[in-house]
Amino acid sequence: MTSLSYILSIDNLKTYFFTEAGVVKAVDGISLKVEKGESHGLVGESGSGKSVTALSVLRIVPKPGKIVGGSIFFNGTDLMALSEKEMRRFRGKKMAIVFQDPISSLDPLYTAGRQIVEAIRANDETISKEEAQAQAIRLMEEVGIPEPDKRFYSYPHEMSGGMKQRIAIARAIAQRPELLFADEPTTNLDVTIQAQVLDLMKDLKKSFGMSLILITHDMGIIAEMTNRVTVVYAGQVSETGNTTDIFYSPLHPYTEALLKAVPRVDKRRRLESVPGNVPNLITPPSGCRFHPRCPYAIEKCKQEVPPIEDAGKGRYVACHRWRELLLVGVS
Amino acid sequence: MQKETAEQEGLKRSATQWAVAWRRFRRNKAGVAGLAIVTAFVLLAIFGPFFAPYPPRSSESLFQGEAGQPPSWKHPFGTEINGIDVFSDSLWGARNDLWIGVAATAIGIAIGIGVGALAGYARGSIGAILLGIIQFFFVIPTLLLILLLSRIAQVLVLHGFGITLIILILGLFGWPGVSYVIRGEIFRVRELEFVQAEKALGASNSRILFKHIIPNVLTPVVVLASLGIAGNILTEVVIFFLGFGPPNTATWGQLIEEGVQYISIYPWVAGFPGMLTVLLVFGFNLLGDGLSDALNPRLRE
Repeated sequence: MTSLSYILSIDNLKTYFFTEAGVVKAVDGISLKVEKGESHGLVGESGSGKSVTALSVLRIVPKPGKIVGGSIFFNGTDLMALSEKEMRRFRGKKMAIVFQDPISSLDPLYTAGRQIVEAIRANDETISKEEAQAQAIRLMEEVGIPEPDKRFYSYPHEMSGGMKQRIAIARAIAQRPELLFADEPTTNLDVTIQAQVLDLMKDLKKSFGMSLILITHDMGIIAEMTNRVTVVYAGQVSETGNTTDIFYSPLHPYTEALLKAVPRVDKRRRLESVPGNVPNLITPPSGCRFHPRCPYAIEKCKQEVPPIEDAGKGRYVACHRWRELLLVGVS
Repeated sequence: MQKETAEQEGLKRSATQWAVAWRRFRRNKAGVAGLAIVTAFVLLAIFGPFFAPYPPRSSESLFQGEAGQPPSWKHPFGTEINGIDVFSDSLWGARNDLWIGVAATAIGIAIGIGVGALAGYARGSIGAILLGIIQFFFVIPTLLLILLLSRIAQVLVLHGFGITLIILILGLFGWPGVSYVIRGEIFRVRELEFVQAEKALGASNSRILFKHIIPNVLTPVVVLASLGIAGNILTEVVIFFLGFGPPNTATWGQLIEEGVQYISIYPWVAGFPGMLTVLLVFGFNLLGDGLSDALNPRLRE
């Protein structure tokens, strides 16, 4: 299971939030495998457990959240078995994360440069401040910041959203991590800037061969950026497979619904939304969690939880009816 | 050498948070007026007593037959029935009052930050117990307790303490508001994404607390300090006005207390220190409001 070609292998991860209203099962049995050098998309609506999965891998789930089950292997190392101190050395150095909101993900009190310097020295105090500063300026250049030696002394509030996100990216890749999580990295940016930031992430990924897990609800970005996709719904995996397969022949009704919600310029058709809402994760629906919103649901879907089945070609799907349904993808 | 100049140049180019706040503050006329008033009183408190014609609580004028006189060139604020020169005592009082306000607020804020930070960062039962303590100190009738304590202290051997005692009492009861704010701010900042981001980079908990969380909660303290000094000066005046202050101390409250008894005959005795009190408290309130606007992150450009 923990083959060395996988940089990340998550099995049956469960992360619950113990709130006063009840136990929120934000991640309830998600399994995920990411190969070295792969760009893996994690898609789903807000609240489906995508972000919590990333935070769980880094083991920085905020309280009252807690990882209650499952295993996470990083390059063959069992992350759940590490002490907090050992885990800290993995963060930033082996894997890093870029958050959605560049405004709040930078500390307003420190200059951009200082925050990158801090990231460079976070796990290695032997790097001198001067050396770290030179490295930081190089990093800023890499992420496309004009006049990096001047911008080094700028505060976050003096920068535009796109610029701040570039700083956040520079900070995340400062220790040359092998795996980068990007949690909706472009959602809060203008469309024109979105493309630039996505291109930047592509370039960076190529230039030092890191693996990328891109978390988004935007199927367009998934198509553009990833080679494999895992679709999550209500804390569980609906299906996983190669991006092109998923787009051309979805096997899960939820994937089909997501694809229908993507606007297309080449085909004039009604834009459909996924009917209904993300279920309450304190008392999730019985059987298949998608059944209340699924147009193809039968009695069995209400009763039995669908097992994850191997659909060949590296595809896995959790649907009782995947063999009989003929779902429509993009064409 | 080369590097240093480059660094300074960069620093000059880039405005710090405080510089931005200062720019915002300068645009606020009321705040600048408050700062001017407060600065004037600080100078008065430091240098005023050197120019006071009489020592504090001196009845010298009584023996010159000048008790209870209206304002004149010799006695700009008039004299009191026992011959105390109101102008001199107002100058000495400025020093005492400001010192009481600043020192008591400093003590209150130091305790408030400590307790508030602990209550905000500790989860579970420690946090709950600390919150209980804060709430307890919040609801007890502070003024009554202060009056009671200062009377007890006077009856006991402590009357030599003078205003130091007042400072301690005000400070030891003046922190719950600060700790409430700090606790709330820590709750807010702790959930911000940059705290997660720092954690994700491998920063330790203590580094995150001291380098990222606490510095980010300190801005409201500046505002609280300004408003706290105003509040403490008012409370101090009330203590003296009610006759609970240490005897023979030159403060505005003491003068007001003495003057009120004869307000219809010698209105200047309570009038001048009363106006000074109102002006200084007003100044601190304007300053506090100005600071609060300048430091409010939601208004930052």
